[in-house]
Amino acid sequence: MSGLAHVQGDFQDYLLRASEAVGAHVLGTARVPVATRLGIYAGAYRSRLAEALQSNFPALAKLLGERDFHTLAAEYVRRHDSPYFSIRYYGDALPQFLCAHEDYVAAPVLAELARWEWTMTGVFDAADAAPLTHEALARVAPQQWAQLRFAWHPSVRRLALSWNVPQIWQALTEDSERPQASLDAAPVQWLLWRHELTSYFRSLTHTEAAVLDAAHKGWPFGELCELLCDELGEAQAPAHAAALLRDWVGSGLISSAG
Amino acid sequence: MLKPPALGFGLGLRVDHYEAILADRPPIDWFEVLTENYLVPGGKPLHYLMRIRERYPLAMHGVSMSIGSTAPLDREYLRQVKALAQRVEPAWISDHLCWTGVAGRNTHDLLPLPYTEEALAHVVERVRAVQELLGRRILLENVSSYVAFRDSRLTEWEFLREVAARADCLILLDVNNIYVSAVNHEFDALEYLHAIPAERVQQIHLAGHENHGDYLVDTHDHPVPDPVWELYAAAVKRFGAVSTMIERDDHIPPLAELCAELAQARALCARTLAAGDGAQRPRRAAAAGS
Repeated sequence: MSGLAHVQGDFQDYLLRASEAVGAHVLGTARVPVATRLGIYAGAYRSRLAEALQSNFPALAKLLGERDFHTLAAEYVRRHDSPYFSIRYYGDALPQFLCAHEDYVAAPVLAELARWEWTMTGVFDAADAAPLTHEALARVAPQQWAQLRFAWHPSVRRLALSWNVPQIWQALTEDSERPQASLDAAPVQWLLWRHELTSYFRSLTHTEAAVLDAAHKGWPFGELCELLCDELGEAQAPAHAAALLRDWVGSGLISSAG
Repeated sequence: MLKPPALGFGLGLRVDHYEAILADRPPIDWFEVLTENYLVPGGKPLHYLMRIRERYPLAMHGVSMSIGSTAPLDREYLRQVKALAQRVEPAWISDHLCWTGVAGRNTHDLLPLPYTEEALAHVVERVRAVQELLGRRILLENVSSYVAFRDSRLTEWEFLREVAARADCLILLDVNNIYVSAVNHEFDALEYLHAIPAERVQQIHLAGHENHGDYLVDTHDHPVPDPVWELYAAAVKRFGAVSTMIERDDHIPPLAELCAELAQARALCARTLAAGDGAQRPRRAAAAGS
């Protein structure tokens, strides 16, 4: 190993694992000893990553309060290094961390809130794409409809949540009265997406979730209609299919059809 | 190779100021943008970046090139930087003379290098590789530091000067960082300034720091303090009217407050140029080293 590689390896081990080998490489002065000097880097490393977590999970930070979030962040930083060139992606494992950590496992709403915030951030800066318009859809020839497949806006995300996390998040974000955390009888299906620069979310019925997920997987419109027939019966399916598609296009969920 | 023309007096572009910039078109000559903030697929960050680009010149300033690291260059990162540059058409691209991590890790800090011949050769080779990949010369910024390495055989300014000369890159001189490091390592900031070749200096950074009594910490969360203004005046005297910007990363005040601080820089630069002798001579925007 080169001298430079050796210095850098030991320096990084000090920051990440408090290893002491770096002491052999650095110099202090009578006024400012080595330990103080190295401590500036160690403190900056931990606080920078903790700040990144706070900025990537602002609602979770607010819910926990300063002291408890600081404890969580310190523990996460201790166990998770950053492999990312951008600090925007630090914290990707926080939901799983909260699920698995003994101090948080009794409050599963925290892990769901973290998942929600992380997903919202992904919606916020997902790739841009021009949405499909009603006019463009109207130009599709009748014989093509059965085979028509949809490409989704890159920001579209789906989540199934057991807790009333979107309501809690909204209250925390808007500084309004926060509802008590409550567990739903069955997981609620959520759809998140961005239209132009605004992020949106709404819950889905069981039927819409099934059809939307099938469409997302690339099922053609004809098969989506069959799925709706199974769910709702032949009488209701065609009108329901048309209404769903109209809503998806109007919301900017679809970027192309072909 | 010609240096890019000077841009005047700029500010770091911050999210808090997007709307005010677009609504008020403040008299700021240019903005420096943090490259990594815009290495995202789409949405608001890139939308605002392009709208502001329509109205102002921009320079891209990165923190993750890790030019001094012994880990391989992150080619995917550089590919994204290049793609962003093709979109934004920045006046220049800068990063720091430092390393940020090894072994697949990023400490997200600008860590100092030992000033050795080995490190020098290593950095020079990597700057050349990056410049070839990006198809342009880059600017490297001096970082503030808190430790010195036992192995160092060169001063920081000798190291910076040699990197720039051997790799044929430009320099982003952070006057606050020079001041902070001068206090922390007990060297003469003016000796540093006078060792830097004027033809390499493309940009100057101004910022504030935190005084801990025995040492200073580069925090970018305070206004530019008097000793940094004094060193800036010395830099203007030596380097002339170099593109200058104020960095503020935390406790970000309203845009008007930063514009007032920038006006202070503009006035100090004008006063220094008017009073000085050497700096009154027009400088060639010329080929470095020629």
